[in-house]
Amino acid sequence: MSDLVTDELHARLLAFVGRTSGAPRVAADAVNAPMIRHWCQAMGDENPGYTDPDWAESGPFGQIVAPPAMLQSWTHHDRRFPTATEPGNAEEELVDVLAEAGYTSVVATGCTLRFVRYLTVGDRVHYQATIRSVSPRKSTALGEGYFVTTEMRYIDAAGEPVGAVDFVTLRFRPARVSGGE
Amino acid sequence: MTGGAVFAVGTPLPARQIDVTTTLIVCGAIASRDFYAGHHDRDAAVRAGSPDVFMNIMTTAGLVSGYLTDWAGPRAVIHEIDLRLGAPNYPGDVMRLTGDVVDSVTGETGAAVTVRFEGRNSRGAHARGTARLEIRQ
Repeated sequence: MSDLVTDELHARLLAFVGRTSGAPRVAADAVNAPMIRHWCQAMGDENPGYTDPDWAESGPFGQIVAPPAMLQSWTHHDRRFPTATEPGNAEEELVDVLAEAGYTSVVATGCTLRFVRYLTVGDRVHYQATIRSVSPRKSTALGEGYFVTTEMRYIDAAGEPVGAVDFVTLRFRPARVSGGE
Repeated sequence: MTGGAVFAVGTPLPARQIDVTTTLIVCGAIASRDFYAGHHDRDAAVRAGSPDVFMNIMTTAGLVSGYLTDWAGPRAVIHEIDLRLGAPNYPGDVMRLTGDVVDSVTGETGAAVTVRFEGRNSRGAHARGTARLEIRQ
């Protein structure tokens, strides 16, 4: 791998900064009690505000709410089931460019979750991402890669913000030999 | 909720130990609708450069969120969680969550509290960060 090639890739990646995922994507499902219950059971979170309607009636919101940390789940995209290719989705194009260059692995390294309001059953979340920065190529314990910072904005059906996430991932070329420990 | 002094600066949160199992990692990933194979398929995780499946960040955030509200009470409202990940959480790890109050402002309706937290496993800090909560009377 020559420096020239690396520099060319970084330059290509920098062109994504400021671009968005396109028009806000609507959550496949409205905020719903079964997904909330699954989350609480998986996490071992017994907060009655999420799952007990009787408690929630006299709770701070008067009804059950989704755990705030679920925010990203409502619109999480499963790449095994690609939707019709929408041109101009910088978030997905960036991943494709990196994968074609061998940077096929990903780990999240940080997130800042900001909650404007808690979501209630029936809320339909809309999602839009903006690529905020791409680091120069870094050597890490996992392998060489690029840190990508994405600003994720979440709005409700009325267009009002419900929360935002600044999300940092490392897109890397695995250093470990396949099958090794 | 007694408010006031309970949430004074310097107050430690009770430590919590979480056994990190394949079950917790897989259930957390699927509950957060994260089907990335590295969170549920050991062979795929190894091919992608990890020794085993690893916890996704949404599960970490969910565990931290539950840790905070179990301490602050179910009427607490979380406004922000700022989270940096370090050492991954793999099956067999034990993550020890600790925290302490670093800022606290008590008003008529409750307290606005900032908590610093850390989740460590045997290889170091898996997660560290701060969270802002509103704890209503």
